Amino acid sequence: MIAATAPVTGLRVAVEGAHGDIALVFIELGIIFLVLALLGRLAGRIGIPSIPLYLLAGLVMGEGGFIPIRAGEEFLSIGAQIGVVLLLLLLGLEYSPDDLRVGMQTTWKAGILDLVLNATPGFAVGLMMGWSVTASVLLAGVTYISSSGIIARLLDDFDRLANRETPVILSLLVMEDIAMALFLPILAVMLVGATLLQGAVAAAIAIAIVAVAFLFAMRFSRQLSTAVHSHSRELLLLSVLGLAFLVAGLAEAVQVSAAVGAFLLGLTLSGNVADQLRGLMPPLRDVFAGIFFVFFGIGIDPRDLGPVALPALGLAAVTLVTKVITGVWAARRVGIGPKGQWRTGLSLVPRGEFSIVIAGLGVAGGAQPLLGPFAAAYVLILAVAGSVLMRYADQIPHPLKAAAARSRPRPAV
Amino acid sequence: MDIFETPLPGVGVRYEFTAEGGDHVGVVVRRDGKRDLAFYDREDPDACRGTVELSEGDSGKLADLLGGTNIIARLEDLRHTIVGLAIEWVTMPAAGGLVGRSLAEGRIRTETSASVVAVIRGDQGIPGIEPSFIFEPGDVVLVLGSDEAVDRAAAILTG
Repeated sequence: MIAATAPVTGLRVAVEGAHGDIALVFIELGIIFLVLALLGRLAGRIGIPSIPLYLLAGLVMGEGGFIPIRAGEEFLSIGAQIGVVLLLLLLGLEYSPDDLRVGMQTTWKAGILDLVLNATPGFAVGLMMGWSVTASVLLAGVTYISSSGIIARLLDDFDRLANRETPVILSLLVMEDIAMALFLPILAVMLVGATLLQGAVAAAIAIAIVAVAFLFAMRFSRQLSTAVHSHSRELLLLSVLGLAFLVAGLAEAVQVSAAVGAFLLGLTLSGNVADQLRGLMPPLRDVFAGIFFVFFGIGIDPRDLGPVALPALGLAAVTLVTKVITGVWAARRVGIGPKGQWRTGLSLVPRGEFSIVIAGLGVAGGAQPLLGPFAAAYVLILAVAGSVLMRYADQIPHPLKAAAARSRPRPAV
Repeated sequence: MDIFETPLPGVGVRYEFTAEGGDHVGVVVRRDGKRDLAFYDREDPDACRGTVELSEGDSGKLADLLGGTNIIARLEDLRHTIVGLAIEWVTMPAAGGLVGRSLAEGRIRTETSASVVAVIRGDQGIPGIEPSFIFEPGDVVLVLGSDEAVDRAAAILTG
């Protein structure tokens, strides 16, 4: 991602030889991992997600920061990419094809409202700042997608999984994740900088590939899962990681984006294998995702945060409100009471890993130099604010009126 | 009583029902087998007043306490409480024994002195079993007699 410092690393290797370099790599990685571990503990203690702290750690390291990172950069760069692949692989594993079907059937209207209300402000602000259409579309993606990682974990932490509004929240997250799977290949094409017509054709091809891969995935889900299955955890992990990297690489080669390939593979794996992997892989994902967030932060010069701070804050405020509106509307449609509607709205506010994934694509593609700092500031604000709002949803007075006719909501969605 | 089932994408399934007393009770069955037992708030029926997280083993124990094997335990008690009189529930096998044959063919009364009192077939209880009654696989047969007689009757029934 950071082309500017890569040659320096290469030079150092040449000059110092492998011996001195490897020592430095280990020392740097050791420091980074320990810092992440400390920050993770801190986040748990004060009750916020760890993503914003990891981003902050990255900001104070590396370019323009207090702690320079040189030797470990190459590993971090690849580790960050692996982090993205694992994030999407496990996202796919979380959902069964049935979840997607049910999600689409029950919430597609709310899903469209979600897209319109929350992508538009990002797109508009991008254009207002004089960014290219591609960069503005990327920013639209950043503001659109809520963090299913943060939200699902907090719902569990706050004991709200059994709440009646929870299926509404989860279905909306499913819709967003599907939208992202369709969005990433289009982005990949746009970033190559094709003309409108070329772009449209390439995007159509990319989406067709995704659609075919999706159908293939659904059709051969059982066979693939059986083939991968092994009682040895080591062999299972090796097979799945091997498949994930292979599929991600092939997807990247045909410009569908590695992340989407991993997502589709995750969807394909089902049953026993998926259950095992859900127990086995999250720690691995969290380590590499941590590297991804830190690396994203490292690539940002903290001095760039100044000019984007105000617009990011403004956009965060606007898209906080639009997410609340989305949630309230979606919950009201299925007969959730006013307090539940309020909780739904506030629960959708946190943005996190996938906003950074989308911004990361743009940074790697060189879409807009300020996109990285902007997305970092935006996610810092909304990951923290969103989780605080979610936690105190019941204590924050809500402006919603109880509908007189609905003293007792219907029992199920 | 209606039990509502709602899928929770990425988590599992939620079941809920309204108890006779008016309280709403929910159970979230997660994909890894853990269960959350939830009690809904009367003021805000979308939220939970409290939840209890149960492992698979815990859920089994709770189910035992709430019903389940309790009934079997009581039946066991019944058999042993009255001296000299045994009551046995005999489940008919898929094939063999008296399956597909009549009560008269088994000559249970003559050979063991035990009585076949009733049969439970599916959800239906059939009292007053005639000699011409034909047993089907899965029938649960209620046999009454001395300990020894009941055991021998069970042997004839199940073959």
